[in-house]
Amino acid sequence: MQIFSEQIRKEHILAKVDARVKLAVTLALLIMILSYRGNVFPLIVLFLNLILCIKMKIPIKVILLRFSEPLFIASMIVILKFFFAGGLREGLMIASRILGAVSVVITYGFSTSFNEIVAGLSWFKVPKSFIEILMFAYRYIFMLLEDAMVIYYAQKNRLGYSGIRRGLGSFGTLTGSLILKAFEHSQNITTAMIQRGYDGNIPIPKPKPFKVAEIFISFLFIVVMGVIWKI
Amino acid sequence: MKKFYVIGIGIICTLFFSAQEVFAMHISEGILPWNWAAFWFAIAIPFVAYGLYRLKKLSNIDLSFKPLVGLMAAVVFIISCMPLPVPTAGTCSHPCGTGISGILVGPFISILITAVALLIQALFLAHGGLSTWGADIVSMGVMGSFAGYLTFRGLRALKANLWIAGFFAGLLADWATYFTTSVELASGIRGTSPFLPLFWKILIAFIPTQLPLGILEGAMTAGIVVLLYKKRPDLLVKLGVVNIKNPGENKKNKMKSILFILLALNILLPLSFAFAEEKTKWGGIDESIVEKYAEEHGRPAREPLINTDQGDLLLFVFLLGGAVGGFVAGYSWRRLIEQKPKDNEHADIF
Repeated sequence: MQIFSEQIRKEHILAKVDARVKLAVTLALLIMILSYRGNVFPLIVLFLNLILCIKMKIPIKVILLRFSEPLFIASMIVILKFFFAGGLREGLMIASRILGAVSVVITYGFSTSFNEIVAGLSWFKVPKSFIEILMFAYRYIFMLLEDAMVIYYAQKNRLGYSGIRRGLGSFGTLTGSLILKAFEHSQNITTAMIQRGYDGNIPIPKPKPFKVAEIFISFLFIVVMGVIWKI
Repeated sequence: MKKFYVIGIGIICTLFFSAQEVFAMHISEGILPWNWAAFWFAIAIPFVAYGLYRLKKLSNIDLSFKPLVGLMAAVVFIISCMPLPVPTAGTCSHPCGTGISGILVGPFISILITAVALLIQALFLAHGGLSTWGADIVSMGVMGSFAGYLTFRGLRALKANLWIAGFFAGLLADWATYFTTSVELASGIRGTSPFLPLFWKILIAFIPTQLPLGILEGAMTAGIVVLLYKKRPDLLVKLGVVNIKNPGENKKNKMKSILFILLALNILLPLSFAFAEEKTKWGGIDESIVEKYAEEHGRPAREPLINTDQGDLLLFVFLLGGAVGGFVAGYSWRRLIEQKPKDNEHADIF
């Protein structure tokens, strides 16, 4: 089921760059965007990231879907600021900041696989327990989503969503069933893992060695963006 | 012609209010300036750290606990992505899911679950953000989980049935999340404008969707708890949500729950007043009614024997009273918490 950005990722040079380097560039750009007092820099970042996404052959529909929520929130903030507090200029500044920041994170999500992100997080000394829970959660989202779809279609075929009240009751049953399945699966999964040598720790993927060229180019990119930020 | 205008306005209103997904729960990337983003991270980190400590401790006892927490994180992720139609607003919104996770696995593990779910949503669905991760953890994880957990425990201690306790837990978890989100948004985007007017405007803007959504989430949480109790009561006993084996232990939990609620109120109430920018002095009943009529009838109030209205004397008196009460409560803690022995001959006389 293609619901996540990383499943839409195509082979592109950006996808081959080390996840840690990309994360460092992402965080640097986010800090620059959040600390900028104006519209220009975030819009430049937005434009660059949109070009990158198009070059990565991400479908336009998917890009628009990812931007739908931030666009709605940005427009609400512009209206709020214009009519109530601060003025249109401040509203547009926040809106450009939202769009620029979202474009950075979207590009990072499109170009990096989950395993690479996990490997990068472990290199950055994120606690092992947190990474293990992250891996479990990511793995079982798809399994539970399949269970949820089966239950949903079974309910729908039996007119479970024929009215608001009935629909809400069916929704409650669906979520309750998901939690029941979560409990049952956790027992089965633990039994299966123990039989395969699980002792409470999951091996975390290790990142590949750094490439000096990637670090140098990323550093140069951050410096160039820093200069533009300063201007 | 008039009919044409009425139909036209009706179509425009229908289009405006037609069902659209309102992703109002997570604060989107880029909304908060860097200083506020860092502030909320600083608030969130200790809670997440303690959640990790609790996870390590519990998973050493039971190997299946980590997979369970991972699966709960997946469930919270799915619940918080599911659109729930809100009939009164004509839109869809998303439940939080932290109320039920707070009830089942406790507030600190629930905060950890929320952090994981929010990270996956931010990275892969552009729902929420990396810079706003801390703020979203505080609103959804910390406030949502604690509100749900404390409400459930408090009501169960007062002998409320599972449905009622679950309903109010889900309701208050949802409302606490949106209240905190309003605080975070107002403080982050206000710029030079005053905080309180913007806070109220954001809160009022949330009301049409989140007020009914809270009720729906309450009903959903209640339904889940009752369903779990009917199908797998052993799970609820294992997680400490219900206590079937030892009814006597409810008294101990009752005292603890009442103390939790009092503690929560003592924290929340002063905070709510702390946000008030203008403190208007309201006269009490003594001054506005009793003294007024007494003076009119020739019986003015005399000076008190000990006039505490001098500098900080009144505060000192309250502090002294609180300290004495605290010492007495601490000294008698065991008597308050422990069950009294059934055999009266051996009962301690206080």
